Amino acid sequence: MAELALDNVTKVFVEDDGNQIVAVDEVSVDIHDGEFLVLVGPSGCGKSTTLRMIAGLESITDGEIRLGDRVINDKEPKERNIAMVFQSYALYPHMTVQENMSFGLEESTEMPDDEIDERVSSSAAMMGIEPLLDRKPSELSGGQQQRVALGRAIVRDPEVFLMDEPLSNLDAKLRSRMRTELQRIQEDLGVTTVYVTHDQTEAMTMSDRIAVLDDGRLQQAGTPLECYHEPANEFVAGFIGDPSMNFFDVEVQGNQLRAENFTYQLSDETLEMIGDRTELRFGIRPEDVTLSNSGSDVHEFDTVVDVVEPMGDENSVYLTFDSEGNAGEDEATFVVTVGGMQKVESGQPVVAHIPEDAIHLFDAKTGEAVKNRSLENVEALGSRV
Amino acid sequence: MSTETVADDGTAFGIDVERVALYGTLVGLIVFYLLPIETGLMTSLKVGPYSSAPFLPTLEASTTENYARAFDALSSGLVNSFILTIPATVLSALVGSMAAYGLTNVDWKGQVGVLALFIAGIFIPYQAVLIPVSNFWASIVPLNVWFGPIAEITPGLEGYHFDIFELVITHVAYGLPICTLLFRTFYKDLSDEMMEAARLDGASIAKVYRRIVLPLSGPMFAVVLIYQFTQIWNDLLFALVIVGTGEKEMLVMVALARLGNTLSDVGVGLQMAGALLTALPTLLVYVFFGEQFAEGIST
Repeated sequence: MAELALDNVTKVFVEDDGNQIVAVDEVSVDIHDGEFLVLVGPSGCGKSTTLRMIAGLESITDGEIRLGDRVINDKEPKERNIAMVFQSYALYPHMTVQENMSFGLEESTEMPDDEIDERVSSSAAMMGIEPLLDRKPSELSGGQQQRVALGRAIVRDPEVFLMDEPLSNLDAKLRSRMRTELQRIQEDLGVTTVYVTHDQTEAMTMSDRIAVLDDGRLQQAGTPLECYHEPANEFVAGFIGDPSMNFFDVEVQGNQLRAENFTYQLSDETLEMIGDRTELRFGIRPEDVTLSNSGSDVHEFDTVVDVVEPMGDENSVYLTFDSEGNAGEDEATFVVTVGGMQKVESGQPVVAHIPEDAIHLFDAKTGEAVKNRSLENVEALGSRV
Repeated sequence: MSTETVADDGTAFGIDVERVALYGTLVGLIVFYLLPIETGLMTSLKVGPYSSAPFLPTLEASTTENYARAFDALSSGLVNSFILTIPATVLSALVGSMAAYGLTNVDWKGQVGVLALFIAGIFIPYQAVLIPVSNFWASIVPLNVWFGPIAEITPGLEGYHFDIFELVITHVAYGLPICTLLFRTFYKDLSDEMMEAARLDGASIAKVYRRIVLPLSGPMFAVVLIYQFTQIWNDLLFALVIVGTGEKEMLVMVALARLGNTLSDVGVGLQMAGALLTALPTLLVYVFFGEQFAEGIST
């Protein structure tokens, strides 16, 4: 069973001048057999360090890493039965693709040559690189090199795949193609995979679960939709989703939230969740705001369009709250996404509707989620009749 | 050159002044560098070395007798020097490469201090350690005394071969710091991720060296081999002290120093012939490895 458990894993780097840097701070995640877990977070959050600790390339300062039921803290990288794909592919430049892929089996097993050859050619077939077997890495394109790196990991038939931003060096089109292919391969092979990226789109589309890290600490571990609709704190809410969630500082006044530019009425349900708190952060996702040209409902606000970014399938509309009929430059802007067919122009006054069931509220001091979007209205597409 | 004749684009009388100056300087430098060799060549071919100006060819008949005599005198020295230089060069390159790998690509405590010691070793002059080294080989580890009996029963193996072996070890030891440094600059540029990938693939530290680092070191080997060959072949000091001036055992540099010095006169033509003969192997090494040398220097 290839269950990978990280138990309060900590990594402290000591610099030459005695300074201690806590790169990873008590991260605990249980990764199930065959699961695709993505470690995501901004640069410097400790995700690569965590991955390298699982691989055995960094020592563990505190905590335990267990594979199956064995503690692997002190095991050499080669004893862990783990294969890794690096961001720079790390192919051996003086060996052909065939030799690159055979290297792992030659060094870590007693397999006979013909069996090694067979495994290499079936992995090469899976990655579509069979015609490239006699070439050297310098004769391959970036995408081909990446497939060789993947094939090299697959041929080892390990218990865990580790991937350190393998798609970062590819161009955008190739990247989205490889994303789908990687997912398919992982499902076919059913190997537990830990994947590191700073790209939240990759995290959302590829993973079974996401683990969001910031500054060495685990912020949330959950399915993509859990992290998207029910973020545990403000950081996760702002990190997941593109364009990002809009945030406003608000003060609780009676049954209202007072922000700098608007006032938001709250229902009793929401007030209950807020409890005693007085200062909050108000969050609303761009796609939850609807635009119209009139309305004066309690949750409808007068705004002016600042900038429109047309994407084709949707438009990202930057709005400012209308104060005295003009959108000054120091007015805060927030983003709304509308359908691609809805035409909006810069300078146009519109009415923005922010429904209460879609708002997120976070404690201003701790960042913890107080209220998240309710998922009552999610429609399931029933089976075809 | 008067300023009026130099036109705006630098030409004068239709000739590019800058170009002429450049080529003039280059030719001057070439003449400067090659003059001693050309003079030596001319002198070695003359019957009477003072019959014409040193760098001019002879007006009388030329002769190759100097070369024949030099070759006779130097032949055993040449053989001995090859027996010394080839193993010493290869060995010091290999050991330097392994030392550099261990100090650069493998992480362990205290390696910075060890590296500093290696670098410091580069600056030790041979003269400073001459007496201790000669005492070491003469009294403490006299190899040809210890292994003398083996030499007697083995055909082709002589006692003085062990002296040469002592010199091989000495040169490997004293050449090690610079070889290590040269390899280190090359190994620093090797991709860390590539070596981590090899470790994850199951290779031990030694295997990573043998299968990944060593095959990639080609260009640097050419540099180190050329450098060490030149240093070891041309060394006179250690050769004189450790191997000595015996007829059979002396190395070619020692033999060359003694060539042509008879009581009556200094055979300049003979000495020139000997010098050119002795320089030939190093020249050939440069010719064969020169391209890789240039490649390795640029990395």
